Amino acid sequence: MVTQESRGRTLPLLVTLIIVGVLLMTFDVRLQGGGVVGVLRSGTQTIIAPIQKAASYAVNPVTDVIDSLSNLSNLREENIALKRQLAEADAALVGVQDQLARLQYFEQLYGMEASGDEIGRTVANVIGRPDAFDAALIIDKGTSAGVVVGQPVVDTNGYVVGTVKSTTHGSATIVPITAVRQALTVMVGNQIGSLLSQVATNEMRLEVLDARDPVLAGDRVLTSAVSASFPAGLPVGIVLVDAAPSIDVLSTKVEPFVVPDTLRLVVVLAWPPDPITASSGETSISDETTTTTTEGSTTTTEGGG
Amino acid sequence: MRIPKGLTVALLLLFAVVIQTTLFGQIRFISPDLVMLVVILLALTRIRPELVIGTAFLAGLLVDLLGSSLLGLRAVVFTTVAYIALRTRERAEIGRYATALWAGILTLIGVLLLVLIGTLFGQTSLLGPDVASRLLVVPLANLVLAGLLGPLFVRIVDGDTTAFRYS
Repeated sequence: MVTQESRGRTLPLLVTLIIVGVLLMTFDVRLQGGGVVGVLRSGTQTIIAPIQKAASYAVNPVTDVIDSLSNLSNLREENIALKRQLAEADAALVGVQDQLARLQYFEQLYGMEASGDEIGRTVANVIGRPDAFDAALIIDKGTSAGVVVGQPVVDTNGYVVGTVKSTTHGSATIVPITAVRQALTVMVGNQIGSLLSQVATNEMRLEVLDARDPVLAGDRVLTSAVSASFPAGLPVGIVLVDAAPSIDVLSTKVEPFVVPDTLRLVVVLAWPPDPITASSGETSISDETTTTTTEGSTTTTEGGG
Repeated sequence: MRIPKGLTVALLLLFAVVIQTTLFGQIRFISPDLVMLVVILLALTRIRPELVIGTAFLAGLLVDLLGSSLLGLRAVVFTTVAYIALRTRERAEIGRYATALWAGILTLIGVLLLVLIGTLFGQTSLLGPDVASRLLVVPLANLVLAGLLGPLFVRIVDGDTTAFRYS
């Protein structure tokens, strides 16, 4: 039973802690996740991540069984469709191997070498999520695998997932594009626009400010070369509704290819290959701050999505 | 040998955080808020109310530090929920169903506060897809878990096998 005396002590404590909490929130907003807050976050994740990894190995079979049971009705149809896709992919692979062999032959013939600007990829397992109301994903690769804050993340099909928000030695937190307020600079056809997340839906809003042509349902939305956060040409989603320019502005809905909740594997792209060079030559679209940590130093880059 | 109460609470919280972020992080249709449930059930134990509120704040801070949302958001929410739980704990002591219902209602208050305060601080990601269903599913899951595990939790924390044996 809560006595009158303890009630007298708990109320001031509650008020004090709420004030402390609100101050912390204000600091976090002001520091944009960096500074002391970033260090605290990274430190806590460094301690908890190994336990999460161990627990993840233990619970993965359980979640697989539950997932399979809940999707049993769809699995057979999916299996047939996948077999058909595999046969098509095998056929395509033979064609690509043939072209690759021809390419190598011509490269040798003309003494050409690879430019070395291929994007490094780090495949990581999704080991958890903070809670039901936080869309972030926790992955099992961190700075030890070359993952740094601000790097783009795609799924195994190459579809855009989001960006790395924080890292520890052995883990990282990914924030999906559907859960950030900053706009992502994209291309639809030959038009450049901004893709924004929306409240209470997985759909995103596409806005093209200098629209010349209409966009049609089914058009693919790709990352733009203007983007400071993603390499150009990565598939983001598909236009859901036809839209024509009104004066010179166009707005429509886009369904992202990726549903972050279902992801088990992601690929972190080592992009930009040289963050310092890339940041100096970029065009800024929106106010976004990313922090890139290199060996022994930290570089803060102001850039657009 | 008797395990210190503080250590028991710390281990239970750590267990809740790890299971929440791994097991329930991957099964989205069963999504309780285990850490909030632990905070609520702590109000039923013989731990001093000030310590329950302090523990709730630290537990919220821990979840905030592991996630991507604002630092302090869950700390404020869990602290408030713990305070309401302490003020209303008599209603949960009637029986197992009462405990379950009480925990479910407190969780509903907690998730509503989370979404409300989060939105005020610009955390629109809290209002992601299926927010309405999650606002119901999380309290319902906590309600079921509180009914099943609430009395056991109190017995473990208090080290009293006779606690919460409803007659």
